[in-house]
Amino acid sequence: MEPIVIFNQVTFCYPHTERPAIEEISFSINVGEFVALIGPTGAGKSTLCYCFNGVVPRLFNGSMAGMVTVAGLDSYQNDIPILAEHVGLVVQNARTQLFNVTVLQEVAFGCENLGLPRRVIQERIAEALDFVGLTGFEDREPATLSGGQQQRVAIACVLAMNPDVLILDEPTSELDPIGSEQVMEVIARLNKELNKTIFLVTHDMEFVATYATRVLVLNHGRLVEDNSPEIVFSQASLLKEARIRPPQVCEVMSDLREQGYRINQIPITLESTVRALQELRDGI
Amino acid sequence: MESNDVIQCARLSHTYPNGVQALLNIDLTIQRGEYVAFVGQNGSGKTTLVKHFNGLLKPTEGTVIVDGFETKPLKVSALSCRVGYVFQNPDDMLFCSSVAEEIAYGPKMLGQPPEKIQQVVEHVLAELGLEELCEMHPFALSLGDRQRVAVACALSLNPEIFVFDEPTTGQDYFGGESIMHLIDQLHAAGKTVIFITHDMPLVAEHARRVIVMNQGQIALDGPPQEVFQHSVLLRSLSLRSPQVTRLAQNLGLSKRTILSVKEMREWLENEYLPAPQAARGIVH
Amino acid sequence: MINLNQTAKNSPLYRLDGRSKLIGILAIFILAIVFSHPFYVLALLVIVMLVWWIARLPFQIIVDILKVFFVIALIILLVQVFFYPGKINLVRLSDPIKFIGFNGYLTLDGIGFGIAMVLRLFVIMVSAPLLVMTTPLPDLMVALVKLKVPYRFAFIMTTALSLLPSIQSRSNLIQQAQLCRGVTDFDSGKLWDRLRGTAGLLVPLILGSFRDSQTLDVAMSSRAFGAPGRRTFLIESHFSLLDDLVLGLSALLLIGGVTLRLLGLGIL
Repeated sequence: MEPIVIFNQVTFCYPHTERPAIEEISFSINVGEFVALIGPTGAGKSTLCYCFNGVVPRLFNGSMAGMVTVAGLDSYQNDIPILAEHVGLVVQNARTQLFNVTVLQEVAFGCENLGLPRRVIQERIAEALDFVGLTGFEDREPATLSGGQQQRVAIACVLAMNPDVLILDEPTSELDPIGSEQVMEVIARLNKELNKTIFLVTHDMEFVATYATRVLVLNHGRLVEDNSPEIVFSQASLLKEARIRPPQVCEVMSDLREQGYRINQIPITLESTVRALQELRDGI
Repeated sequence: MESNDVIQCARLSHTYPNGVQALLNIDLTIQRGEYVAFVGQNGSGKTTLVKHFNGLLKPTEGTVIVDGFETKPLKVSALSCRVGYVFQNPDDMLFCSSVAEEIAYGPKMLGQPPEKIQQVVEHVLAELGLEELCEMHPFALSLGDRQRVAVACALSLNPEIFVFDEPTTGQDYFGGESIMHLIDQLHAAGKTVIFITHDMPLVAEHARRVIVMNQGQIALDGPPQEVFQHSVLLRSLSLRSPQVTRLAQNLGLSKRTILSVKEMREWLENEYLPAPQAARGIVH
Repeated sequence: MINLNQTAKNSPLYRLDGRSKLIGILAIFILAIVFSHPFYVLALLVIVMLVWWIARLPFQIIVDILKVFFVIALIILLVQVFFYPGKINLVRLSDPIKFIGFNGYLTLDGIGFGIAMVLRLFVIMVSAPLLVMTTPLPDLMVALVKLKVPYRFAFIMTTALSLLPSIQSRSNLIQQAQLCRGVTDFDSGKLWDRLRGTAGLLVPLILGSFRDSQTLDVAMSSRAFGAPGRRTFLIESHFSLLDDLVLGLSALLLIGGVTLRLLGLGIL
């Protein structure tokens, strides 16, 4: 089956800058994958996110080379509203991306723009709010919600437009632990229950290790690694170069391996580490 | 009152104008030279409590005494020489055309003589390694450097107590480590350091005292080794201990709390696992 | 600060369609501009106060508007007293100052014109809440669009209003941050210091708001803002008998007022 997203040698340079923000990015994503993008601040992760739905290059006057194809559509040839039916984008700051007076209006906004019939919009709103666990919040003012609730509303807004791919740019960086938990849980279910393709930018390596099927590492605008979480998190020098700290359990097991303990595959989650250590202790 | 107490809260309660009671009867003492982390969900009262330390908020009931002075009749600027408060986002306060000007701004506003200001600026630039950047425009600096400038502005008033509101939020791991290193240095120089964070590994690796807030009250207060032992209570507050702490607990360690990767590795090597050679031997 | 995201749901005006309220307010605005005689403007003000009373909006808002308006009103009054080419001289103040057109006297019609100007502005300022506080922003937007205002324009107007609270809270945050670094006060001190203090507020505020607006642009576009074709509006609005009544009264008022004006009345 055709990949749902294809990046082919994509390079983008913001106006008045010498170095490109992202350079020669190539990768493809299949339907249902859960892809995590990690990298240091300033690596170009947000720029990359904006390429999926045409925000780059249309809203930022820069120069772009290469091609981005989403659901068979070229992001350069097609306007943002057309791509918006296939790709949804949730940005980092929960509060700033909500601008309507009620949650109902907020979630309706995208569908209204697409000109969907009123009844369809009402159904989609109900389903989206139900999925993110905010049924009953229709009349609430977005500004009065907690950070976690705001991000879930943002996800509902995008979900109501029924995209195939959801791009989430550091959705939990500014949230408290409970908000993060709520949002991450929704993201995991989006992938598991609705088979949505997820592209998540995050610094939460524990979450990446548990849910992502694939990890892309971006550094200085270049894609330096594209592999499974197990392989990515075992490459200590690559991670250090990219200013990333792998899950603590990986660090522990990597250290033990250096000390001479026989560990073939570095476990990356808590559960698999517990098992591996018990096996080591019992001499299996 | 012992001269070692720098902050004393007695029966402190705070109700916001909209009727929300954010703090309930808090009794708290912080001594000179302590290194305290405040954690808790948004709305738990941690930020409300900490804002009483420099007079940003005044008690609606009870008293707050800082460095021997009751805060209620004092202006924030009067307390700024005793308590340096550094907000999360440096861009909420930087506006001058050079780093040196930013650092000089506070002392100038407080009416200090120009010669003294010059001295202070030079001293602070040296302390924070900002000499090379002193003529640069703050907006041209990286986020990490802008944060340093924000800390420099607080340092220019030479307070004994520092408060950092979420110093690492929104940054990558190395950026966070860099600012924490700076904060560690301040503490090593004898300052009393208080920080608010959601990052538990940060708390485990840097703080000497952890205060967990919940619904306007102090739920836990002690050294990290003790606080992170209460895994059930922390879970009920939706707070997650560092991964290594949970790993140790899952492996059955109950007598002590592991707080860092290094501690974990040492415990595994010395107490939990057999020697590496033996493990290798058995695997054959 | 008035939070335009809250509406007075208990007000009888709440039930009206946004369009009739818009047209009613427009009629009041036009008459406020057309009349310049203080008695006529006063009559208009009385009508507005009557509508305010029917609308059951809190009177505190008028007081707040007065507080803000007071200094401006005084300035306007003084300016008109000196600059209006009055004919009915009352008291001689000084020698004529030719180049500003001051004939040296305090004139009755000068005072009258000044009062009328103040009242006209006051009528406009006080009638705006009648619309804005009884009409939820989405309904207001739908009303504007149905009155053939282009969607983008109506959107900008209503969204700008709904973003005021977030600018306010950002401003508070910046104020706090500046206080923490030694800024003594924003309300006292030497003029130069206060000006600098204002820069300390405005620069982060403007930059921060600009950054936010970029994020908003991205978020809106990503949700297909500006998509071609017919846009659906979830909010439905229908005219009722009450709306016809309001339209009728507004038309009557407007026609009556303009007729009086054309007959030469209502001006000094």
